[in-house]
Amino acid sequence: MNDPISIVDLVVDASAVVQVVMAILIFASIASWIMIFQRGFTLASIKREAIEFENEFWSGKDLRQIYLDLEAREEEPIGVENIFSSGFKEFTRSRQHKGTDADRVMQNVHRAMRVAVSREEERLETHLPFLATVGSTSPYIGLFGTVWGIMNSFREIATVNQPSLSVVAPGISEALVATAIGLFAAIPAVIAYNRYSAQVEVIVNRFDAFTDEFSSILYRAVHSKE
Amino acid sequence: MSTGLSYVLASILAFGFHAFVVTLLLLNWDNKDLVESLPIQPYYIEAIVVEENPHTAKKKREQARKAAEKNRKRIARERVNEKARLKQTAIEKAKKQSLEQQIAEQKKRDDELASMELNKAVDREVDLAEDERVKMEQSLTLSILEEQNFRRAVTDDEQALAYVSQIQRDIVQNWSRPPSARNGMQALLRVYLVPTGEIVNVVVEETSGNEAFDRSALLAVRKTQRFQVPAKSRQFERNFREFTVLFRPEDLRL
Repeated sequence: MNDPISIVDLVVDASAVVQVVMAILIFASIASWIMIFQRGFTLASIKREAIEFENEFWSGKDLRQIYLDLEAREEEPIGVENIFSSGFKEFTRSRQHKGTDADRVMQNVHRAMRVAVSREEERLETHLPFLATVGSTSPYIGLFGTVWGIMNSFREIATVNQPSLSVVAPGISEALVATAIGLFAAIPAVIAYNRYSAQVEVIVNRFDAFTDEFSSILYRAVHSKE
Repeated sequence: MSTGLSYVLASILAFGFHAFVVTLLLLNWDNKDLVESLPIQPYYIEAIVVEENPHTAKKKREQARKAAEKNRKRIARERVNEKARLKQTAIEKAKKQSLEQQIAEQKKRDDELASMELNKAVDREVDLAEDERVKMEQSLTLSILEEQNFRRAVTDDEQALAYVSQIQRDIVQNWSRPPSARNGMQALLRVYLVPTGEIVNVVVEETSGNEAFDRSALLAVRKTQRFQVPAKSRQFERNFREFTVLFRPEDLRL
């Protein structure tokens, strides 16, 4: 065995089951990387917009004006903008009803904003379960491929009269490729999952803080007009 | 950034990343420098099984001697035949001459007598030729038999060689040399087997001078417990009833 086996040979010569396992894992790896990049972009843009919006919010501009600006925009409001607009909308609508007391208005506003926050959280967390699944299962899938391949190569040994290392080694090497691909898919997925869940948590905390601050402002507004 | 655009961009990046990884792998996989720089050191121990069977050796020598003798005999016989033939022709010539003389001298002699004389001579000649032919045939069948024997011996030897190499492998597999083993040491063991291949007895015939080494060799043979030997009892008796094993480490650095 002077010339080393190329990786192409390893993949092409593998048994059908191992090849299917490899295909699944490569697909999972590509999909998880798509999610990783997409999540990265989305989370970054949500964070950026949140910072921009909070700057605008605390700049002392008229809230009604901000709301109208948001409504006038083509894009759907995301993140903090969505929370603000749904809270403000509920606030104005409740206030238009004559006879609703201040506490009732505040309750409605709170509920509306909570709904918006949970919707935003949901949006932030899309695809994260997929990353978690890839991260936790692809090593097992790879291991299955490896075990299957090694099983086959040991069966081959049984048929050979004088088994030597050079008879067994290619089969095992083939089989191990499956585990390698599994780990290759799993490691980035796990890292990305952990990183993004931490980021999501940070953003959700920020939303909660904003919600509290905004509702306290509205509370003051409601009670001052009474 | 809209959601659709982010997905497209993410897909392009993901595929690009995978293509990059695969190309890297393909480029770096055949690392020939690495392969070449590593000196290939085959792990090589030789426990040489010396086929030392006095019985076979004697037989072979005898065969060779027989063949040589046969050859010599054949040549001698041919020479004798040649002589006989020469003599025969001489006799014939002489006879012819005498016959002619007789005819010339005794023209009036009876024709019958002459013909009888001739007949007798021819008869004798035929007898002689027949005798020669039988002798030749005998020697031919003998040489054919000899050839067959020789052929069988050759295939037997080949088969025996296969068994010997198997035995060698078995022993080498079980042989763990002591740390005190050095290149150049050698121990000669004599192994006695029963037809099932099991060991009856092992003795150290020539010690290596190192007790641990001898013991490791003994252990290597005993651990095998059972050798694969030919099922044919003739082959077994010839080569495997007892044989010697030479233990000699050759791959040690010391």
